[in-house]
Amino acid sequence: MCLAIPAAVTKILPDEMAVVSIDGVGKEISVALIEDLAVGDYVIIHVGYALTKIDPEEARRTLDLLRELSVE
Amino acid sequence: MSLAFRSEIEITVWLAGCSIVDVAILPRSRPAVMRLFAGKPASSVLSVLPRLFSLCAVAQQVAYLSAVEAARGEDAAAETVQRRVTAVVAERLTELVRGLFVRQLAFDGTGAEAVRALMHAATVLGGVASEGAREGAMREAVSQIKSAVTALGTTRETQCPEPGRAPAAAHLARFNAQALSLPAIEQSFLSVADDPDVIARLLTEGASFSGAPELHGRIPETGVWARRGGREQILALDAGPAERLKARLAEVARLLAWLDDAERDLEDGVIASYSLGNQRGAAAVECARGRLYHAIELDDEDRIVRFQLLAPTEWNFHARGPLVQSLKGSRLAAGPRGQDAVRTFVGSFDPCVSFNLNFHEAGRA
Repeated sequence: MCLAIPAAVTKILPDEMAVVSIDGVGKEISVALIEDLAVGDYVIIHVGYALTKIDPEEARRTLDLLRELSVE
Repeated sequence: MSLAFRSEIEITVWLAGCSIVDVAILPRSRPAVMRLFAGKPASSVLSVLPRLFSLCAVAQQVAYLSAVEAARGEDAAAETVQRRVTAVVAERLTELVRGLFVRQLAFDGTGAEAVRALMHAATVLGGVASEGAREGAMREAVSQIKSAVTALGTTRETQCPEPGRAPAAAHLARFNAQALSLPAIEQSFLSVADDPDVIARLLTEGASFSGAPELHGRIPETGVWARRGGREQILALDAGPAERLKARLAEVARLLAWLDDAERDLEDGVIASYSLGNQRGAAAVECARGRLYHAIELDDEDRIVRFQLLAPTEWNFHARGPLVQSLKGSRLAAGPRGQDAVRTFVGSFDPCVSFNLNFHEAGRA
């Protein structure tokens, strides 16, 4: 199962790259598959690529769901 | 509260010189979805699935809907099933194409634009197919998908990338057959014929089966190569990454042709559902990565009593499964060339899987 983990864009880099924050952890990813991305947007990432942009409320609900799943 | 998931499969390859003597696989975390769904009304879960599973959201929703209907003893109308198959095919096509590029190639402008267009058109098609009865919109979405895939170098006519047409042809040209020599092994493929056995085991054994599935000593492969194996009796027993990727491109071409003409044959059991009595039902959906199973039990108020999910990855990346069996005994070229070939081979088992690959000399800590 590939879970969809939302990440917040914290910095736009040259060459269609960006830095995102996944649950507080920074990661550099490619944003070649997304157009018109800005700092503060939320994206779904997979194998180092942002695949889709989602709205912040959807991201929050998804993160809540994932936290509920990750409780041991 | 943090997200305590291990989202990548850890693969360790043990080498003795240029030979692979062992392969160890540490699976990803398997979140307890049942815990999240237990006691919830069956109808409330459908909208949650795309939030959890972004890569195969359509397949997950179709598997869930089909299993729930089976548990309720309902039959979906033929037109509904056809719309679902179309949506599953569109998603499968997108993931097969996207998987070729996101891991292997640096995008050039054309490639990135074409993949973006493909993802957008497939999303539109999935939505239209779900809503139904909008032939014009569906034809437009199919047309956009064909344009995008053609721009990437594959057409429904050629069945494989046209020489010189970037980026798909360039992608295949990268593979050097000499870099990885695989042993000839007996292959076993998961198919619709296995569904009853898989579902029975899923319901009786639950997570212990779905985490490491095995059918009486058999751990079959699922996905593109297995689907091809279901159509063609003879497949190279030592097929390497190039053959597997050609099979993926050929499937893209077949799916494009099917989207043009849904009367054409697709493989059996793209969507299969099973009413099991006592408000239990199951379904299997053939998605990009292979056969996905959902099994569910409802109570008298349509709430979820039991839910099990078996992802295709669990077969292919089983600790004793097809990937491990294929790699053991292989010989690889020295240095990065051989390691790259192994990496490509691992990726060829699944268009979406996220993994870390490590190499160690056997006998060294």
